Amino acid sequence: MNQNLIRNFCIIAHIDHGKSTLADRLIDIAGTMKRSKVTEQVMDSMELERERGITIKAKAVRLDYKNRAGEHFRLNLIDTPGHVDFSYEVSRTLVACEGAVLVIDATQGIQAQTLANIYIAMEHNLVVIPVINKIDLPGSEPERVMEEIKSVLGYNLSETFFISAKTGQGVGELVEAIVDRIPPPGGDLNLPTRALIFDSHYDDYKGVIAYVRVVDGRLEKGSKVRLMGEGTQMEVLELGYFAPDPTPAESLQAGEVGYIATGLKSVAECRVGDTVTVVSGGATEPLIGYDLPKPMVYAGIYPTQADDYADLREAIEKLNLNDASLTFEPEASPILGQGFRCGFLGLLHLDIVVERLEREFGLSLVVTIPGVKFMVTKTSGEISDVTSPVDFPDPSEIAKIEEPWVRISVVTPSNFIGALMEVMQEFEGVYKHTEYLGQFTALGETGQRVQLEYEMPLRSMLTTFYDYLKSRSRGYASLDHELLGYREAKLVKLDVLVNDVKVDAFSRIIPPEKAHDIGKAVVSKLKDSIPRQLFKVPLQAAIGGRIVAREDISARRKDVLSKCYGGDITRKRKLLEKQKEGKKKMKMIGKVEVPKEAFLSIMKLG
Amino acid sequence: MGCGALSVIINWNMAANISLYIHIPFCIRKCSYCSFVSYSGRQDAMEQYSQALTREIIQRVDNRMLKSVYFGGGTPSLLPADHISRLLECIGTHLPQNREIEISLEANPGTINHKHLYAMLSSGVNRLSIGLQSLDDGELGVLGRLHSSAEGLNAVAYARGVGFKNINLDLIYGIPGQTLPSWQYTLEGVLSLEPEHLSLYGLSLESGTAMMEKIEAGELPTIDPDVSAEQYELAEKILAAKGYRHYEISNWAKPGFECRHNMVYWKNEEYIGVGAGACSHIGGHRFLNTSSLEKYIDAFTGNGAAVESDETISPEMAAAEAAILALRLEEGVEISSYNNDYKTDILSVNSKEIKELESYGLIENNGVNIKLTPRGRLLGNEVFWRFLPASSAQNDTNQVAMERE
Repeated sequence: MNQNLIRNFCIIAHIDHGKSTLADRLIDIAGTMKRSKVTEQVMDSMELERERGITIKAKAVRLDYKNRAGEHFRLNLIDTPGHVDFSYEVSRTLVACEGAVLVIDATQGIQAQTLANIYIAMEHNLVVIPVINKIDLPGSEPERVMEEIKSVLGYNLSETFFISAKTGQGVGELVEAIVDRIPPPGGDLNLPTRALIFDSHYDDYKGVIAYVRVVDGRLEKGSKVRLMGEGTQMEVLELGYFAPDPTPAESLQAGEVGYIATGLKSVAECRVGDTVTVVSGGATEPLIGYDLPKPMVYAGIYPTQADDYADLREAIEKLNLNDASLTFEPEASPILGQGFRCGFLGLLHLDIVVERLEREFGLSLVVTIPGVKFMVTKTSGEISDVTSPVDFPDPSEIAKIEEPWVRISVVTPSNFIGALMEVMQEFEGVYKHTEYLGQFTALGETGQRVQLEYEMPLRSMLTTFYDYLKSRSRGYASLDHELLGYREAKLVKLDVLVNDVKVDAFSRIIPPEKAHDIGKAVVSKLKDSIPRQLFKVPLQAAIGGRIVAREDISARRKDVLSKCYGGDITRKRKLLEKQKEGKKKMKMIGKVEVPKEAFLSIMKLG
Repeated sequence: MGCGALSVIINWNMAANISLYIHIPFCIRKCSYCSFVSYSGRQDAMEQYSQALTREIIQRVDNRMLKSVYFGGGTPSLLPADHISRLLECIGTHLPQNREIEISLEANPGTINHKHLYAMLSSGVNRLSIGLQSLDDGELGVLGRLHSSAEGLNAVAYARGVGFKNINLDLIYGIPGQTLPSWQYTLEGVLSLEPEHLSLYGLSLESGTAMMEKIEAGELPTIDPDVSAEQYELAEKILAAKGYRHYEISNWAKPGFECRHNMVYWKNEEYIGVGAGACSHIGGHRFLNTSSLEKYIDAFTGNGAAVESDETISPEMAAAEAAILALRLEEGVEISSYNNDYKTDILSVNSKEIKELESYGLIENNGVNIKLTPRGRLLGNEVFWRFLPASSAQNDTNQVAMERE
């Protein structure tokens, strides 16, 4: 294929702004697939992605397009994850493209994550085509959003497209613009081979499949190749492109996008961001700096039933083949038994992993309170990373604690500024900056849209922060964050005792001045979620030996005793059997039966 | 089948006792808490139903001595007196009867008068169980009962008037909104009637009942188990002072007036149940009849079968059920006779459970009996489920084919 007739691009959009629908429409227009063969939203192939309306793993589709001048183009549409947890993957995807279609919802306008992604696109010199989507909706305000695009991003009306991905309106013009405005890929066919891995997944039959953008030279079936970052060597067992099903080919050359089947056993050996080159006569410089996305959030994952530990191990290992950013190591808890301490890119990543483990592997899990990685310097001078409250040293041994901070950007209508500033303060945020984005109309009022910048401990963000942000702004505020680095902190460990048994899974690291409030909230939540037992159960929150909050669950006095009517003992027995089965689903803390919901309720607590 | 004198004697002994339960599934209106097999507005089917009952009785009886008959419902007092007498006549001709036979009938105060009661007494009913439930009209309304407290009191007076010497009164506690004083008022009012027997049932919420729906919709307050516990304890105190023996979790009687029919259930003995939704326990099986009125009537006019499920009770399960039932009784499990009857050793089979339950103060074990403590009587289910066999779901239940050729 003539390199000049190739266009590599991606779509950037905030969640629900219509990226997947637009991708479907583009596929329609290019006619790569017969519509009947295609389920709605081709690009989101995981069930979970479709349900959550987000894209977890990037995919690439090759579209053949004949433009109005009659020329045949090859468009490679590379899908990007829309969530900040996966910003590393987004940035690698953008590097594989020459252009980006920026989709903005005509009913909502620019959101915090849109800004974050557009900055990355600009950083990598991508040609950006702004698109205002959903113009068919009654609540849409394309003019207002255009104003915002102009004042915040600096694009003109003439550069911007007004479309409805749902009805297809304006999409034809957009495709023409993709061909006209986005430059063909650079790169040199005659230079030593260099290809960027922008995604990978594990396939049971072919091993790891890497999604690549060939920048220089070519990749051929059977080539011996090397990954410049990881150092892995392998043979290209198969290569090809997606249309959207994998279609094998003989080679991929400079400018092209496709996949290679590596036969590798784990995506950890073949990570996003690495550069592929050939073993003999290979390149010396990688395409971009290769670094690994680091876990930001940690939590313990345990099976509800101790017997399921082996299954959980197998499930996590299997998931890890496909998700190298998930880290895990065995952990033992006196209460929860054998489990794993896992690291995640963010809370959404955690949610997705837990949901996949439960859904795809049929496991019932208990997940501990998510936390960050603290850096603790002991009085002995020893520095250690602490990802679990259990490992938090005794206060007398601590010389210094450091914790990660993030920069937060919130885009909101100005009438919620006051309420949101309060939320930020409650969650230990430090104010930095306000920027006015432009006019907007919502709920019949005209106001300003504002971007607020704060800095706050990541720890604070992992609790109910997002829920508050949404509820105090009636759902209007959007959030983006990026890691700033470690700062010194004053923190203590809050322990929770159920019937005088310390429950490590409920421990959390908090600022001392919040101990009383959080302690009270925890014990009262537990009181609501642990059913009354056959004996009195004291619930206590403590800092070291000091009790900061206490509630008692009084002993159960009476259950419902039905008569065995007319001698129907079977009916009565079945009720007892049900009661007995119910006990099996409980976690035992000492003698106390604790339902899984109690763990969930504490995890969700601020 | 054995032969020789010895086996004949054994068979005769085995045949000595059987009880008969007759289900009358008709009601004028279904009570708000009721999840039993009952139909309102189907009195048109009574005649056919009685005939079907007669046929089922003839079909199922053997030569065992009949010890008790119990008309339960539904509302048995809704059945015309001549139906009752016809059924009892049929039973009299087909079953040998003990002279001491107990014949109970459940009556709803809204459905009885002197004449009706007299006719029933004359046809052989010698124990009347009246569903009084409460003496508070507000509570009767919540329960969806069709009678007032005054009608309840009258019903008892009528029954005494026509000559019933053995009367049980059913009461319900733990009614949404019922207080301790209002419960005390009902108890004291009822005791002034000097019933021979009292059944006090804690209201149990069953899914699908009108009351459950109202509570879920917030139209009625939820049942506070602590209030129920206090009401139960109050009843224990008051009834003991009046000379009633608390012989089963929910039942109190003057000495000698314990319900013989219900004792059959609690002692895990054999019984035949006839009628829609009725349950039988015979020869290590538990049979359950169809609960559909139509299917039941059809079964005895030539189409289909009345029995819908046949459960084989394993020896292990039989032992567990016997223990659970015996624990309801004041004397609890009599260890040596229990071990003998079920070829087991309860103290070793259930040693872990017994120890645990003792530690919670729910049972006491003196080596002769295992019985519930006063606290255990309030938390019976916590005791009972622990006596279920480890793999309790394996009991074999066969759905009997409905359309048998």
